[in-house]
Formats: sequence, structure tokens, C-alpha cells
Amino acid sequence: MNCHLKSRLQAAAILIGLLSPLMMLDAQEGARGGGGVSPKNVPAPTSPVTGNPTAGKQLYYSFGCYACHGYNGETGARAFVGRWGNLATEQSFITFLRGRANIAPIPPSTSMPNFSESSMSDKQAKDIYAYIRTFKSTAPDLKDASALNAILEAARQEKK
Amino acid sequence: MAKSQKTSVGRRGFLKGAATGAAALVSTPLAEAQTQRNGGSAAADGGASAPTETQLARESGNIRPPVAVRKITRPGSDLMVQTLKELGIEYAAANPGSSFEGLQESLINYGNPPNQMPEFITALHEESAVTMAHGYAKAEGKPMLALLHGTIGIQHAAMSIYQAYYDRVPILMIAGNDPDFIAAHTAHDMAGMVRSFTKWDAEPKTLDEALVAIQRAYNEAITPPMAPTLVVLGSEIQKDNAPNSKVPAYRPPEFPVIDATRAKEIANSLLGAQNPRIAVGRLRTPEGVQRAVELAELVGACTSTTATNGPMSFPQRHPLCGPGADTNYDYTLGLEAPAAQVFIQGPALGPIASSRDTGNIGFGGINGAGLGGGRGARGGPVGTRIEADAEASLPVIINEVKRQITSDQKGRIQERAAKNAGANHEAHVTAVAQAVEAKRAGWNGTPISTARLYAELWPLIKNEDWCLSSPSNFSGGHNAQLWDHNRPYSYLGGQGAGGMGYGAPASVGAALAARARNRIVVNIQTDGDLNYAPGVLWTAVHHKLPMLTVMHNNRAWHQEYMFIEYMAGVRGRGADRAHIGSTLRDPYLDYAKMAAGYGMASEGPITEPAKLSAALKRGVASVKRGEPYLIDVLTQPR
Repeated sequence: MNCHLKSRLQAAAILIGLLSPLMMLDAQEGARGGGGVSPKNVPAPTSPVTGNPTAGKQLYYSFGCYACHGYNGETGARAFVGRWGNLATEQSFITFLRGRANIAPIPPSTSMPNFSESSMSDKQAKDIYAYIRTFKSTAPDLKDASALNAILEAARQEKK
Repeated sequence: MAKSQKTSVGRRGFLKGAATGAAALVSTPLAEAQTQRNGGSAAADGGASAPTETQLARESGNIRPPVAVRKITRPGSDLMVQTLKELGIEYAAANPGSSFEGLQESLINYGNPPNQMPEFITALHEESAVTMAHGYAKAEGKPMLALLHGTIGIQHAAMSIYQAYYDRVPILMIAGNDPDFIAAHTAHDMAGMVRSFTKWDAEPKTLDEALVAIQRAYNEAITPPMAPTLVVLGSEIQKDNAPNSKVPAYRPPEFPVIDATRAKEIANSLLGAQNPRIAVGRLRTPEGVQRAVELAELVGACTSTTATNGPMSFPQRHPLCGPGADTNYDYTLGLEAPAAQVFIQGPALGPIASSRDTGNIGFGGINGAGLGGGRGARGGPVGTRIEADAEASLPVIINEVKRQITSDQKGRIQERAAKNAGANHEAHVTAVAQAVEAKRAGWNGTPISTARLYAELWPLIKNEDWCLSSPSNFSGGHNAQLWDHNRPYSYLGGQGAGGMGYGAPASVGAALAARARNRIVVNIQTDGDLNYAPGVLWTAVHHKLPMLTVMHNNRAWHQEYMFIEYMAGVRGRGADRAHIGSTLRDPYLDYAKMAAGYGMASEGPITEPAKLSAALKRGVASVKRGEPYLIDVLTQPR
């Protein structure tokens, strides 16, 4: 069996045979807070913004940023509101976009793809950054999220 | 009993003659052209001939069938239905097909009252019929019947059968075969189309053989490794008079049980351990779950559960369920789950799959890896595996524990159980606190977060007898942290083989189980999945099933969308065209209108989180009245 065929078969095995575990990983994302990471209330960056947030909004959708980061940056596989990290400055964001791995793995991946300048210009990146910077946490205090609060209270009251 | 008035002309010969005569009378240019293409003979090239216009007209009901030549007073299919009744088959789901018209007529008319046990459930697609049986089996731990039309119905159902096979779910299937009718609907080996992913099949030639085959198929389906089975029934044995046949006495299957020596060893180890643990995987039936609880309570062992991943496992909020007071376990017993010392696990499906894979298709991946091990064999510490059915072995172990236990041990066990319960409570509160903290994120965002959807639903169902019938992996899996899974059917788990088109029909199957048991079913339905065979919504309405469908509408096959984004990204082509082929836009689908078209009460799309709870309340109230309801909720992607 040549390596290429073997690789393809391995890919098929992962896709077909292990799809459920793959989904379990997804579910485990949930276990770790899928639909949102724990809000850290890290203040949003205050570094300069030069892009156009209106144009950035359109790009955030058309480039599918929302697919992994949610429509508000708070949910999904990689929420970032409150965890700004690589989004601290416009330049750190662009550096991050350009520095992603550009080798396609055999198994399907939902990691952050690489965005070379040919696929997303600096201007587009700056516009997206400007839009991202408008995001604010919508997480309420627990007492104001009555359904969540009730779940916690019920757990506390549960008979040992 | 009136005697059969069967003529000396065999039915097969009579029908052939009738068809030939009728065809001669109504010969058309189309029929002649077909004959010419075939060199003057309909099947001169050895292939199956195309249906004639006469056959098509008969199939579509546009001409009368041949004049009856026999008076049938006790059709064989009545006995088939009697056999199903005695097996306790509750439902028979089918999209109608002429190859089983005899059996269908018996299902709806035979018995007093007719059309009960089993009740005929109208499916709009064979894939739906089988997946209904899939969902039903996961909720109840026993099979219902799926009826399939010869050849075409089986192929429609193939994906569902494959999925149920992968999920080790028992389903009894019957397919009709009418060799005298449309050639395209017959085959020499009907079951061959799905043999690679069924556990057992038969095509009996006589009614007596057929009745035995139905019983055998049922037994094969429910015996580990559980899987779908198929009996192909010729139309003649369904329709012929059967004055002298009777349903054979049913003999339940023998489940593989651990031997007495092993049972003594296990009981001794559980009672002798200072800190025993029982790892509980997916058992066969609710009775197995009950026995697992009994054993854990007898020995005061803390337990693990797979109840947040699928059905038939240890109650999640039982005081003994959790890590316990001390995670240094000195003896762990696995019940259909891997464990460090000893685990009891049913036989794997792999060898059966290999023996039936006559086409060398190799389902299950390389070397059948996906089917080779038993359920739960992947990962975890590896102790001694005993190949037996854990559920059937539990009574033997329990009896042995009861026989060996001393009064001193009882006192120690009681003390340990109390400590474990306290520690498990603390662990649970900590986990919930972490979960609710995380799930505040996006709480007030638009569209609605999946976490909020689950959290808002919980207070409305937690005091009901509920079943989450749809896979939750694509919608965040929030039930695992926010809901309590205390019944064997609380959560029915994933699709089995990752095939889409599963959620709604599996939920209908679960709702069939629920309807008779004053239970409600919650189907958190991904949008891509619903569009495979949405006609199943009509089935839910038609049969008045207590099924609440809440759309997780992210307007995409979202997992694939993310895959394509990544692929385009690493190839340096950007992600701005990744939506092509992986999203559902231009136009957006209106699921409330879709449901309304099938007669289901519905509302939406709901995009504002503040409006969600009231809609959910309306939905729960509706299903509690026995009226299915759909709420379209526009959600965050995950």
C-alpha cells in the first residue's frame, strides 16, 4: 500500500469510523463551556484602531469568522471576548492571522486557518479588527440569569 | 372454518397468464419500444425487464387487479401479526409497499382490537421508518418493527440500517418480495443489499418457516451484540390461506452469562475492597440499569456513568454516582465499560460483521476497527475482560453478594456509601458552579446562545418524565452539565455512525415509546439534519406524539462549514467562499412554516433571547397535551 493510499484510508477511517468520537470532542467543548468560555471580564484592549467597523462587520460574516467565534465573539469553539490575547493590538492580530500553520492535516480540522495577505489584505484584517473591537460581553451577573442561577441553587439544595 | 376455494391453477401461473393477457390487450408504443430494445424479448439480455405499462398501471391503482380466485379466510399474514403480538412488538413503521400488502392488511385489520400491538405507524420514507425504530429501541431497550418494500424500500432504508448497526441497536425488519409483480421490485437475494450491516437475515419459503424466522430475527436482534435483523417474506406466504399453521411456542434467547466461579470472585472482591468502584456503560434494557443500581447500593461503591452520552446507564444524580470520597480505587468492576480490574462486556460485532461482509466492503474502517471492539472498549485502563452480557450477569453477582455479605461488611458499606454520597454531592455542586459560570457567556446575545436554549428549557421539563431524543453534540452538549440524567432514556445519545437525517425520526421513535408512558420527548433539532426527511414531522402529528422540536438553526451544515474554512485557509485561498455547499442561505429556510405545512403547531424564528422562555413554555404545554410542537430558534453556530 503506498503512503498516499494509506493516508487516504486513514483519513477515511477517521471520518467514517471515528466520527462519533470526533463529535464527542465537540461535546466536550460543551463540557468545558461550549457556547461560551467562562467570562473573564478582562477589559477590552484600548490600542488604536484604524479599520472601518462597518466594512469589518461584513467581512466578519463573509470570511466566516462567526463560525467558530460566534456572532458576538462570546460563544462557539473559540470565544475571545474577555480573553483578548492575540487581539491586543491591530498588529498582533495581523501577525496572528499570518502565522497560522498552512499545512493541511489528514484528518479534518476546525483549527484557525491561516490567512495569507493574498487571501485577506491588511486593510481587510484591520476592518475586521475594528469590528471585533466593538464586541462587548453580554454575560449578566449570575443572579440575573435566572435559569442558570436556579440550576445552581437546585444542585446545592439536592439531597446528599 | 370455510375451506379455501383455491383453484387448480397456481397463483403464480395465474398471475403470469393474467399479466400477459392484459399486456397484450393494452400493448402500447412504449411497451413495443421496450420490447424492440430488448431484441424482442423483455429480458433477452438477461437483465431485469422494465415495468410494463400494465404493471405500472396496476402499481398506481389505475387498473383493477386480477379477479380473485380464492377465498382467503385465514391468511398467513394474520399468523405473522399474531407472532409479532406475542413478541410484544408495539409498533410497525412503514411506508406502504405492495410487496407487503398482505401483511399490512393483517396489521390494520387482524386482532381484537385491530391495529394494536403492533400499531401501524405511517412513515413517509423508509429511512424514517428504520430510524424511528432506532430511537424507539434506544428509549425502551427493545425492538419495534420496520416494514420495507422489496428492493426499493430496502435501499431507501439502507443508511438508517447501517447507522443502527453501528449503534448496536436491535431492530426487527421485514421486507416484502413479490416475484410475480414488478421485476424491479424483486431480487434473488433481497437481504443481500444490506447483509454487510445486518446481524442476521432469512428468506423463508413457507409460512411455518416464516413464523420461526420472525421469532429468530427478534432473538438475534436483542442478543448481544444487538443489531438490526431482516426477514424477507414472499407475497404468497403472506396471502395464502393457512388453515393448519399455528404460531410456534416462543423461546427467549439465552444471554451469555458469567460462570458461577467468576461471580463468586467478583462478589468477594467487591465486598473485600476498601474502596470499590463500578464503571457502568450502556446496558441493554432499563432492567439492567435497575440491577446495576442494586449492586452499587449493596456494596456501597461509587460509580461512573455514560448517561450523559447515551441511554441505559447509571442514574447521573444517584448519590453513589460520581468520583466518590477517595479516587484511589482498589477494585473496579466494569459493566459494559472498561475497568482496571475486571470488566464484563458483551461479544463484539466485528467477527459477525466480517463473516457477513461477503462483498469485502470493509465497513467499520481499516480492519473493521470501528466494529472490532465491544462498546466502550476504547481507552481507559485495561483489566481482565470477561465476554458475557453484563445485564444478564448482574443477577448472578447480586445473589452472590447477598450470599457472602456479613453484618460487619454491611456496616462498613453503609458508612462508605454515606461518605461517597457526600463527596459526590460536593463534586456535583462544583461542576455545576463552573458550568453556569461559563454558560453566562453570550447569554443576552443575539442570536440565541445554545447554552441559554438548554438552560431555559430545563426548568420547564425537569419535573416531567422527559427524554432528550436528539444528539446534543452539535448544539453544545449543554445537557451534560445542566440537566440531570436519571432515567435509562434521559438522553439517547448520538447518531451511531455520524449519519445526518437522524434527529427527527429518532425522536419520533422515542415519542412512540413516550406516548404510551405519559412521557414527553425533547428534540433539539439541527437544521441540516432535519432536511433529509422532514416528512417525519407529519408522522408525529398524525400519530399525536408528545414531541417538542426546538430548532438549533444555524443555517448550515456547520461542522462541514468549519472544515471547509480550514481547508481553504491552509491552501491560502481565504475563507470567503467556504459557505458554498456548506450553508443553508439564499434563501433561508422557514422551519415554522415547514412544520405548519405538515400540520404541526409551530412558531418562530425566534432570535431574541428574551422571547425564548415563553415560546418554550408554549411548546411544553402543547406536547403535554399530546400535540407535537416546533419552535424555530435562530442560534449561535455552536
